[in-house]
Amino acid sequence: MNAQLTSHERVARCLRRRSHDRVPIFDAWWRETEQAYVAAIGDPNLGCGIESFPREPRPDRLTLWEYFDMDLMQVGWPDQRLRLTPPEVLQETDEWVLQRDGNEAVMRWWKHKMGTPEHVAFGIDSPDKWAQVRGLLVPAKERIRWSEFMPRYQRARQDQRFICYCAVEVIESAKDSIGHEQMCRAMIKRPEWVHDVFATYTRFSIEMFRLFEAEAGPCDGAFIYGDIAYKNGPFMSPRHYRAFVFPYHKQFFDEFHRRNMPVIFHSDGDIRLLLPHLIEAGVDVIQPMETRAGMDVRELAPQYGDRLGFFGNIDVTVLARNDRDQIRRELLAKMTAGMRYQGYLYHSDHSIPPGVTLETYRWLIEEVRRIGQYA
Amino acid sequence: MSIVEQLAEAVINGDETATPRLIEEGLAAGIAPGDLLNQGLLKGMTEVGRRFREGEYFVPEVLVAAEAMKAGTAVLKPHLAQAGVRPEATAVIGTVRGDLHDIGKNLVATMLEGAGFEVIDLGVDVPPEKFVEACRQRPVQLVGMSALLTTTMPMMEETIKVLRAEVRPTPVLLVGGAPVTQEYADKIQADGYGRDAATGAELAKKLCRLGRN
Repeated sequence: MNAQLTSHERVARCLRRRSHDRVPIFDAWWRETEQAYVAAIGDPNLGCGIESFPREPRPDRLTLWEYFDMDLMQVGWPDQRLRLTPPEVLQETDEWVLQRDGNEAVMRWWKHKMGTPEHVAFGIDSPDKWAQVRGLLVPAKERIRWSEFMPRYQRARQDQRFICYCAVEVIESAKDSIGHEQMCRAMIKRPEWVHDVFATYTRFSIEMFRLFEAEAGPCDGAFIYGDIAYKNGPFMSPRHYRAFVFPYHKQFFDEFHRRNMPVIFHSDGDIRLLLPHLIEAGVDVIQPMETRAGMDVRELAPQYGDRLGFFGNIDVTVLARNDRDQIRRELLAKMTAGMRYQGYLYHSDHSIPPGVTLETYRWLIEEVRRIGQYA
Repeated sequence: MSIVEQLAEAVINGDETATPRLIEEGLAAGIAPGDLLNQGLLKGMTEVGRRFREGEYFVPEVLVAAEAMKAGTAVLKPHLAQAGVRPEATAVIGTVRGDLHDIGKNLVATMLEGAGFEVIDLGVDVPPEKFVEACRQRPVQLVGMSALLTTTMPMMEETIKVLRAEVRPTPVLLVGGAPVTQEYADKIQADGYGRDAATGAELAKKLCRLGRN
């Protein structure tokens, strides 16, 4: 079994907790880190970015995932704004731009770095307003950046990487249109509105996935993003998760399981309290397992390792010290714990920050390959 | 249950229609505005903070409780002014320069109001000079700084240095946010660290010696 596998085989087996040759590798970088690495590497074929501002997909160029020969590839990412119109710029400096987007939300974004925007105002501020605009959320081909994702998809197939369809789930969707705070209040004060918002986004997300699949071809797994927690725990109680979120997560994840696609679920923060519910909803693997929020594969693998995979948990604050001994200790401790259950994939516990030098990073990836070998 | 007890209960239950009504009833019954504030609204928020710290309440429950408190405060405010009841302390709060995150900071502002502070919210991406300016415009007992990114945490240290150099007496300086730890707070010589909004507010009360709840 331990002959070298293709990336596709390796990830497919790992996500199902079957024996494989080594720990699969995938990562994310802060925008500034990615730019610095691409510049330092100096390869003109590189530079097909993840998100950038303004967006420059550069479909003719390769991603850092390909440069580092990582095992997964991301495609999909449907645009779920209500209106696909360019944002209206309300104010701008060299550093940031304040704009009203296609969801009628006013947000302040950094121009040269990644990060959550400031939520200044939400135009959808009532169930009535939502009822007026929800019909705009129509699945459509123009909601996919085909020029970026088709070449990526085709290269990934050719290179035998594991292709993940990426999208966001209901909390993340609603956060962009009605805002976190309004959504949280509505769970108590206007529950029927929350259900309508979540049901609308779920139907839309499923339709967009079907549309992508019909156009591009099958995907191997789903990588679903939704920050449902912060460092001290979930935003909502397990009771509220069960009442408001679980049915829509299950409906969405079932769509992938029907195609034998495992579901990787991304949430920052401490999601431990929700893990039994997430597993029941159909989550196969959790990512990125933020160390500072208390997520620890050494604690969780013995509890859930027979039914859940672990993706990440390598502390970025340790990586940012650029100290190889400390990094090796971190890798050994976390990877060994996860590997015992066959379902561990390497990723940092967030995104690689600019403080991690390219030299350190190259060494890190090689070290992960070395430590991650199954005997 | 007395009116002030009902008021506290209405805050705990996030009943924003009950709090203004109970304030009116309390005033009509001759209850002092300061008692309605301290024994009703703020006592309710203190209990909300306790439940949040102990994992009984989550963000939705805290937000609706804050709405209920604010609805009651809006009715009570003119009566407090008339009775000469002023907040015991003023807190200036903001997310430090380079960081646009605001949800956590807003939650802390709410909990500080619930702890009896008048809160001056400077918003996000706040440079050290703006914190200094706010402290010079009025007597300020507490400055709360928030950061959500490892890359913006160092700006807390910078802000603390500037505040200690420029503002005398220096207010109590509290820090918090996702990447911040007690160890980091000690390293940058903050006076305290709040691991969550409720703990931060409780610590703020203690360090500023607020004792009316």
